Amino acid sequence: MSVLPMEELRAAGRADGQRAQGRQAQDRPSLEALPKVRRRQRGMLASVLLLLLTALGAVLAVNIHVANSQYQVVQLTNQHRDLVHQNQALAQQVQFLESPQSLSNSAVAVGMVMPATAGTFDLSSAEIVSSAEAASSSEVPSNFVGAPGYSQPETAAADVSQQASGAPSGLLGAGALHTLRQAPAGENGSGGGEESASRPGSALHGGTIPAPDVTD
Amino acid sequence: MARTLSLRMRIGLAIVLAMLVVLGGRLFHVQGLDPAGHAQEAISNRLHTVELPAARGNILDSQNRLMASSADRYDIVADPRMTGDYTVSDEALGMRRPVTVEETAQELAVILERDYHEVLQALTAEDTHYSVVARSVTPEAYQQVAALRAPGIYAEPVSERTYPAGSVAGSVVGFMGSDGPLEGIELVQNEALTGEPGERIYEVGADGVRIPTATYEEIPAQDGQDVRLTIDQDLQWFAQEAIAAKANEYNAQWGNATVVDLREGNEGKILAMADSETVDPADPGATDELFRRPLALTQSFEPGSTGKAVTFAAALEEGLISGDDPFSVPYRLTVNGETFRNARSHDQYQMTAAGIFARSYNTGTIMIGNKMDEQTRYDYLRRVGYDQPIDIGLGIDGQSYVRPPEEWDRRQPMTTQFGQGYEGTVMHNVQLYQMLANGGVRHPLRIVDATVEPDGTEHPVVAEPEQVFSPDTSEEMLKLMEGVVEYGSAQGAAIEGYRVGGKTGTAEAASRSGGFDGYTVNFVGVAPLDDPQFLVSVTVHRPAGEFGDWDLTDTFQDIMTHTLTSYDVPPSDAESEAYDGFVGERQDYPW
Repeated sequence: MSVLPMEELRAAGRADGQRAQGRQAQDRPSLEALPKVRRRQRGMLASVLLLLLTALGAVLAVNIHVANSQYQVVQLTNQHRDLVHQNQALAQQVQFLESPQSLSNSAVAVGMVMPATAGTFDLSSAEIVSSAEAASSSEVPSNFVGAPGYSQPETAAADVSQQASGAPSGLLGAGALHTLRQAPAGENGSGGGEESASRPGSALHGGTIPAPDVTD
Repeated sequence: MARTLSLRMRIGLAIVLAMLVVLGGRLFHVQGLDPAGHAQEAISNRLHTVELPAARGNILDSQNRLMASSADRYDIVADPRMTGDYTVSDEALGMRRPVTVEETAQELAVILERDYHEVLQALTAEDTHYSVVARSVTPEAYQQVAALRAPGIYAEPVSERTYPAGSVAGSVVGFMGSDGPLEGIELVQNEALTGEPGERIYEVGADGVRIPTATYEEIPAQDGQDVRLTIDQDLQWFAQEAIAAKANEYNAQWGNATVVDLREGNEGKILAMADSETVDPADPGATDELFRRPLALTQSFEPGSTGKAVTFAAALEEGLISGDDPFSVPYRLTVNGETFRNARSHDQYQMTAAGIFARSYNTGTIMIGNKMDEQTRYDYLRRVGYDQPIDIGLGIDGQSYVRPPEEWDRRQPMTTQFGQGYEGTVMHNVQLYQMLANGGVRHPLRIVDATVEPDGTEHPVVAEPEQVFSPDTSEEMLKLMEGVVEYGSAQGAAIEGYRVGGKTGTAEAASRSGGFDGYTVNFVGVAPLDDPQFLVSVTVHRPAGEFGDWDLTDTFQDIMTHTLTSYDVPPSDAESEAYDGFVGERQDYPW
């Protein structure tokens, strides 16, 4: 059903002569041929559709990817937090070991004593201002100030040494930890012979190679 | 036909339009106006606001070594409505096995090192949805708890203070209570240490993961400032060991050793303020209440003979004496009907003013002090800081009381000349000797060096110096102090290669019930005298034994030697500038 403007209908009602003409016009709806879809345009349409589909697909893919990355972000954030905590625990351990009392205790453990007077030279006059004194082996620092309360469980310490095994040895890595935890077997050398001999349990007498057994 | 059709069409059109309007209106009502708040509710269900806690600033020593820091900890809390028996998939069995709440409590008790019954109580408490199982557990323990996957057990992140240096300078650093800071720097610098917490607002989906394209706002937290002290952690430890050994030797009630920087640009900085026993901020309850705050501020006592320096400096400043002025000093002296004696009986000596100071004779001091009237002497006591509270930046006022001359009793006009009849803290004594050593200029003692913003901007604490004595008076006083160490009452304080000066003091300690019981013994010394670099004060309160048994000079010598060595002050072969103690050739009169 086509809709005609009202004016036309009214006009059709008024004049009979015109009616036939009008009816004729109503009977014959104005037809018009659709423009031919040419091949080129068909290809164009297909490519537009394809483009749309591709865009849709791309948007979908990006969306899925972003959503998935979000899980990854959460995972990485947790990993980051864990590492931060681990780092914190290690830093704390270092800080406690660095405290003066702990250093003093470690020093005593490896057989160190309080220093005596240091010698001084006046470089401008090339004179000895004061002469050095040998430190006395009995001058062990006193131990009135308690070591800081270390809240970390023992397991944390074990974890550390395991992880530090891959780290550089010596003073920078696992070696440093080892040095702090255990007294080396008399690396004070020959000079400390008397002193280390006086220490109980030292069978090495200041050296690193055990003496031959002469029990028989 | 056409007419009816058009009418129908019109009606239909109208109805369609009307429905469109209704629908549009409803749409606008629901979406635009949202009277039931559904949209808002939906958003707020998705919206998550997380507070970003600001990190509390660190407390550092003068060399930026850590004294107090913060670490992440977790409070493990339970919602007893949600706890109960549950099942957990067991890989060994290949099926889910049931876990009872008792077993959960057992496992938690082991991980958290708590009593099993307490944990069970927390898990099964009634009429609550919040009960604390354990406070401040380490992240490692928290991870073990989380691995149990027990329902109704949560962790709340909290921040805990750690004190890596333990009781080294514990009373200075202070400590935190459960509701905030309680003492020391933690309390007085709380505002600087506390930052501004931030906020993160974002939307989460049903699975708890953030919706990437939705609202996301972040207001970053402003971390607190670091507070750098003037304390030298190593020196503080050394001083604490030394004074603890001394207090232990004499079985004293308490002891204090204080080291002050006198070097140019650093005058008045307190390098160490050591008490014979010090609180560990991690466990303040374990220490006697007396030792939870710095004794150098909380304990007032009569300074004793160290206070003679005020009388001598005043007389020098007024131009009434010079170091080598002769005096005839008796053992016993009666002034206005009141008799004063020296510590040990001796013949009448022909001495210099320097000799009186070196041997710390009360009678000679009175002869010098009485050259000034009472008001002048009182004014000098006030000018050097007595009778006024002293605050070094710890929020604790060190108290000192001197009665005004009109309230003095019959003996006080004389006793105040040799450090009795008034009281002050270690800080008052130290401030007096600081100005005597630094050219007569008072540099207010301070313990906070600077506050440091997270970006590294420093806000140094500045103190206004004030000229109290003339540089000449200061120079003369150093010569008098050198005599004390060279031939006077503190010969044990001498350090080879350095010119050392100081003053001993012993005063009776006022008892709580009135009268006196016990003594306060002290020594304040500076070195090297050619250019004073450091001041060390040693005080011991109520040592066991008899008057004359005590000697603090060895402790002074230990601490001063250590300080000079660790700060690379070279020894010099400078000649002593001390005045002769006695008039004439002979100097070795008996004590």
